[in-house]
Amino acid sequence: MRQIKDVKLGDHVCLAFAHEAEQRAVVTAFLAGGLESRERVLYFSDAPGSDRVRSWLEEAGVDVASAGAARRLEFRTAQESYLSGGRFDPDTMIEILRREVDASLAAGWAGLRVSGEMSWALAGQPGTDQLEDFERRVTGVYAVGRAVGLCQYDARLFPAERLTGLTDCHPEQAQMNALFETGTLSITPTFDADGARVLRVAGTVDHSTTPTWSAALQQAARAGGDVRVDMAELEFIDVAGIRELASAASALTEGSSLRIRHLAPRLRQIITLVGWDAVPGLVIEQEAVRA
Amino acid sequence: MSTTINPDARTPSAGLIHHALIYGSDQEFLAATIPFCLDGLAAGDRVLAVTTPANIDLLTGALDTAAAEVDFVEAGNWYHAPGRTLAAYGHYVDDHKRRHPRVRVIGEPLWHGRTPAQQAEWTRYESVINAAFATSPAWIVCPYDERALPEQIVSDARRTHPDLMSGPAWQASPAYTDPVAFTYATDHLPLSPAPAGTATDFGFDADLHRMRQRLASLAAGLGLGADQTDRLMLAVNEVATNAVEHGGGHGRIRMWIDGDVLVCDVTDPGHLDTPIPGYLPPDPAAPRGHGLWVVRQLCELLEIRTGRPGTQIRLHLARI
Repeated sequence: MRQIKDVKLGDHVCLAFAHEAEQRAVVTAFLAGGLESRERVLYFSDAPGSDRVRSWLEEAGVDVASAGAARRLEFRTAQESYLSGGRFDPDTMIEILRREVDASLAAGWAGLRVSGEMSWALAGQPGTDQLEDFERRVTGVYAVGRAVGLCQYDARLFPAERLTGLTDCHPEQAQMNALFETGTLSITPTFDADGARVLRVAGTVDHSTTPTWSAALQQAARAGGDVRVDMAELEFIDVAGIRELASAASALTEGSSLRIRHLAPRLRQIITLVGWDAVPGLVIEQEAVRA
Repeated sequence: MSTTINPDARTPSAGLIHHALIYGSDQEFLAATIPFCLDGLAAGDRVLAVTTPANIDLLTGALDTAAAEVDFVEAGNWYHAPGRTLAAYGHYVDDHKRRHPRVRVIGEPLWHGRTPAQQAEWTRYESVINAAFATSPAWIVCPYDERALPEQIVSDARRTHPDLMSGPAWQASPAYTDPVAFTYATDHLPLSPAPAGTATDFGFDADLHRMRQRLASLAAGLGLGADQTDRLMLAVNEVATNAVEHGGGHGRIRMWIDGDVLVCDVTDPGHLDTPIPGYLPPDPAAPRGHGLWVVRQLCELLEIRTGRPGTQIRLHLARI
């Protein structure tokens, strides 16, 4: 998982999103970051009309009109890009991208930044079964270091197995920028398919990061509704850190819950030992857990 | 002067009743425990008997059909680690206190084969019961077999139990000591040092991330399994956090292997003020004070020395 701000020329990443808010946050940061870095930006949208993405950028303070006039920011549809020629052909698309990279450099830009919405691949057009092959090979185009690509897959539309196969064709996945980040702890927002916010915790929670951890949880609790915390990437949490989860759960309005997923068995045991499992609103999701 | 109370005239106090039953024969054991069980069952109390297999046989024989209403557990399956046993009793009382006026327990600790350190901490555990269950509707009778136990253990029982039971009656123990004031005979002595040449040690400061990395690599070198390493990391981190936040701000960690046990000393120049640290079940809603309690649950044994030169907390963890 790479925060979108850390995605640079040379990278080929994908975003598997389940909610528009997540797509918007990642795509806006990615495109705006390219314009700030003197790169040319090319955007492939599924459907005609790019108003949605333009408005995301405008609301983020990007001068879309002048970037467009200078041909630094261009929008094309899938029909005009991936499916030009009426079918999907990996060789053709890779050739198109190579030419765009060369043209961008020739025009004096630092590189080419590409992002594509990928749901066109589900419409059954000829050649779309070669998408995996394309994704694997196009990594080489980016790896030269003159371009960077973000492929957007809607997790609500792609069957789970195909989605996993496609994300595996990318060297890395992108995620939203961390809300909170310290030396050893990062807390990144993401979304479930039902629109609920999920805080993805990575690194370590100990006495040095407890204030950040506490602030993130309390802020999420104040936002209203359920809070979901994904601890799959957590390396260590101390007892005070677990206590903060119970404390944030207690601060929720009645009927809301703080749901923990991917909690290590040892930590689940500690929650029970102290009696935090009896805190109303603290829910440990029962699912496969890491050792 | 101590007074003898007739149990029939007894007005049960709302909180804990904690008796030592020092017995020298099977008859003496049964003369106290059988009325204790039967009175309890008649009053609607829940009754748990944790004792030796031989005493379980005696009780089931003498209780006859009433034995079916008593929960029996062999002491060897119950007295694992002082902190955990305390928690297990706590859960038992919590589980049953809603539906029974009182929870009665016959709890005969296991003394045979204990190391001096274990004997000290299990004696302290008996004392801690008085504080940990002070407000619980529990009536605990702890049998001590004079025929088999060293005199020291029996005489400490008189200091750790407010009352001494004999037959169906009891009297106050003149030697009883308040749990906060209780000290074991060897408490003023330093903990035994690591055997020469066996220990590795390193210092730590507020960077506990670094401390945990060093601890993990040392634990791997000592052949500790993944699950036990996990326990060690959590437990040592809690102790070191106390040192960093409330103690001297820095300290040292010293580890060695003693047979099947990994011993880990965490020392810091600060002083630990908490009485009976980590023994009292914490309030889940409290803003702090859960750390040492969790450490006691994670470890087989915890020894604490605090005073002039600083604080030394010794964790014992099974290697496997």
